Amino acid sequence: MGKIVGGFATSHVLFPPNGVEDQAERVLAGMLRIREQIRALKPDLIVLAGADHLNNFNLAMQVTLAVGVADAFTTLGDSGAPVVTFRGHRPFAEGFVRHANRRDFELVQMEELRPDHGIAIPRLIVDPANEVPVVPVYINANMPVPPSPGRCYRLGGVLKEFVETGRPADERIVVVGTGGLSHWLCLPEQGKVADAFDRDFIARMVDGRSEELAALSAEDILEASGNGGLELTAWLFMAGAVPKARGEAIYYEPIPEWISGMGGLRLSPVD
Amino acid sequence: MSTAPYRVHKLIQDLMKDPAGQAAFARDPEPAFEAHGLIETEKVLLRDGSPSALDRLGVHPNLQMKYGRLRILPGSPPPAGGGPLAAYLGRLEER
Repeated sequence: MGKIVGGFATSHVLFPPNGVEDQAERVLAGMLRIREQIRALKPDLIVLAGADHLNNFNLAMQVTLAVGVADAFTTLGDSGAPVVTFRGHRPFAEGFVRHANRRDFELVQMEELRPDHGIAIPRLIVDPANEVPVVPVYINANMPVPPSPGRCYRLGGVLKEFVETGRPADERIVVVGTGGLSHWLCLPEQGKVADAFDRDFIARMVDGRSEELAALSAEDILEASGNGGLELTAWLFMAGAVPKARGEAIYYEPIPEWISGMGGLRLSPVD
Repeated sequence: MSTAPYRVHKLIQDLMKDPAGQAAFARDPEPAFEAHGLIETEKVLLRDGSPSALDRLGVHPNLQMKYGRLRILPGSPPPAGGGPLAAYLGRLEER
């Protein structure tokens, strides 16, 4: 059986450091620390979960949960992320979709996909040398009816089950949830950061209490942390793949100038 | 927040897939407004284009950002500073 050897979460943007140089440096340092920790785990494959920003999906057909199944992906190049081609992993991605179907999750398979910054920047963080295949999992929190936190958490559990029952022995998988933390994108509250909510969210996750957060409704998270805070459902997907795991808060910075709470953490799977 | 009628969102989504249409829209948005059947109050708010106007119209936040870019005339200079990641790319791309 394969094994999930690490779970990580991180914000998926960076903005110019002007005026917030020290905080920007700490955010970057945190992201690079996540890179080093993932590298040390020597993964054979990375599952990157995050939201698309209405670049590959749109309101014409509102897809909430999807998996990139292609052999390779070329990034969109938005938000300053370079255009690069990285490897996918078709057998893993398609196998996960089929396994999820047996567990009552009908995931959309994406063949044609130009990952935007929600996947492209985290991929650059975790594997700049493009050495490890990446399977993008879309948790589209920005759809008018987003997937619920509980469903995202349970889907993470389905991923764990797939890895442990459907993948080759000794295959090492790292799961990364991206996005968040609190931000109110293009809303009147833009610039507000829910510092206390963000810190509590991180604290509960690294304390092995992610399931409590998965019991929140999407409306709860939206109210407390803004429309961008709903991207934390991708963190809960990751947490569901490493149930009960405890870990370490790697960085957190509330940066109103970036209209966002910025953070990252590691969860170590329970054997 | 109310949600804009789909015709408003369709206008933005259609333009995103149409580079020639984007250039024409940046020069004169009225034909595209007409083609998508927008009513006058919608046109007024889209002509305004400010965050408060787009919020009042109920444009999806991600599409608000794209709408802002659609209004930039082709050939306009890019924003100063080299983009959001410029200050970090060296270390992010370090292998």
